[in-house]
Amino acid sequence: MAKTAEQWIQTPPFPTSHFVDSRIYTDETLFKEEQEKIFNKSWIIACHESELPGAYDYRTFSHPGGAPLIVVKGEDLKVRSFYNICPHRGNTLLYDPVGNAKRITCIFHAWMFDTKGNCLEISRGKQGYQDRYTCDDASLREVRTEIGYGGFVWVNVDDNACSLKEFIGDSMNMLDEQLSMPLEVFHYHKAIVDTNYKLWHDTNSEFYHDYMHYFNRATGMIQPGYFDRKYTGYPNGHASVGSMEIKYDAYQGSKARSVGWPGLAPGGWVLIDIFPGMTFNLRTSVLRMDTAIPLGPNKLLIEFRGLGLKNDTPEQRAERVRDHNFIWGPFGRNLHEDLLGVHGQGRAMREGTDSKWVIHGREENMTIHDEGGMRHFYSEWSKKMNRQAFNPMGDNKLTQAA
Amino acid sequence: MREQVSELIYRSFLTLDDLDFPGYISLCLPEFNYKIGAYSPEIRKQMTWLEESRDSMKLLFESLPKHNSDHSRLSRLGNIYLMNKESNGDWSALTFLQVFRTTLDGGASELFAIGKIKDTIRGSDGGLKLLSRDIQLETRMFGFGHHIPF
Repeated sequence: MAKTAEQWIQTPPFPTSHFVDSRIYTDETLFKEEQEKIFNKSWIIACHESELPGAYDYRTFSHPGGAPLIVVKGEDLKVRSFYNICPHRGNTLLYDPVGNAKRITCIFHAWMFDTKGNCLEISRGKQGYQDRYTCDDASLREVRTEIGYGGFVWVNVDDNACSLKEFIGDSMNMLDEQLSMPLEVFHYHKAIVDTNYKLWHDTNSEFYHDYMHYFNRATGMIQPGYFDRKYTGYPNGHASVGSMEIKYDAYQGSKARSVGWPGLAPGGWVLIDIFPGMTFNLRTSVLRMDTAIPLGPNKLLIEFRGLGLKNDTPEQRAERVRDHNFIWGPFGRNLHEDLLGVHGQGRAMREGTDSKWVIHGREENMTIHDEGGMRHFYSEWSKKMNRQAFNPMGDNKLTQAA
Repeated sequence: MREQVSELIYRSFLTLDDLDFPGYISLCLPEFNYKIGAYSPEIRKQMTWLEESRDSMKLLFESLPKHNSDHSRLSRLGNIYLMNKESNGDWSALTFLQVFRTTLDGGASELFAIGKIKDTIRGSDGGLKLLSRDIQLETRMFGFGHHIPF
């Protein structure tokens, strides 16, 4: 029987850990708090070391907390990150997403900086500022940077945050061996979708939505071992999903993978979700990395990377590229479905649609269709936000025992 | 003959616009090779996003009804810039491609993608057919995307 208006907003018949108020996906105030309390306090992947092959190579990065960043390899081959903001009049220092810059010169007034963030020259500085303001006053704002876990470049705008190692803890142990050799990015693209970043991360935190993916149903869900995969939660909101052997040739046109990954069982698939919005997705022959960069409560930029081994032969690389594209390329079978799914959620849960609850109630002993991965995420979210995901504004009247 | 080459190229767009996949396949030689990709300035690499033979393209089309897809209509507009008869009798053509997406709900159209297509066309018993198609996209962002290649 369909619900009345009153029944629609009634508290779901679950413990409060098993549902969230959909305002956490739509509210502008909560979004700004997330930027401050979560993204500006977390280690975030800005790029991969293979994107900075030589001295003075740089990449720009839109930090999800809001700050635009430059990530640059110095003359000493150390990678550093800075705000991509000129300390003079706030102009963007580097406009292109990639390049090589021994000197970073602002196009506006030609102030010049080096790749260690030092100001080298203020044009006509003495004439204009006398001794009141010098290069020593005009350094770039440096952002903590570490490289790790597969050669990814991580940044943290919080100078007082713990180390990357402390942030990650044991959550990446399952991929220790698999990420121990040099990797290389062979695929990169972005997508902007009208949805909340947490809804995207949810698709990487649960596999119940394999009902949406014909490819996954054929090659995974109906295959032995699928329902044995288990979620494990780690401190700081991270989670992992154990492996199974994917039967790729169960899907018409798809072949068994002839190229594997060192340390991964044939056909294996391991997934690790890093709070608040990155996923290591190692699927037999390809490592996929998603980085979620929210632009607003209902607008999300996702960076997609596909990686192989740096020492791949041309044939191995070609195979990895094909494997990646079959499911995760812009025309791949799965990616469009995932994006369509969260687009639909964003459409149905905009402010004003009268959406109320999102249920994370499945319990199957933390196996693959359990929604414990999401519950683990929102528990951390609640801690960091000092708000309860099921009652973020404190104004919900729980209408039944929960 | 130039007109026939043009007609083949335009027919290939019309068949895909109309989701007439058997029609598209019938325009391709058995040894047809399809490739679509883009250069990523971010990683400074050429990316191939899809590479299919005629047979694997056929399988791709056959599998689509089993998937969840956006149902917006794509419309392909091509301007053939250059056409040349090669020494071996094949034709080569360079076409500038624009793809528009029109929503089912309301019918709003937007530019979805642009790129250039290099076609090689060969004569056969059934007339001129596509031997190869190599699409180099300028566009690298597609929102929530689309299953059907261009």
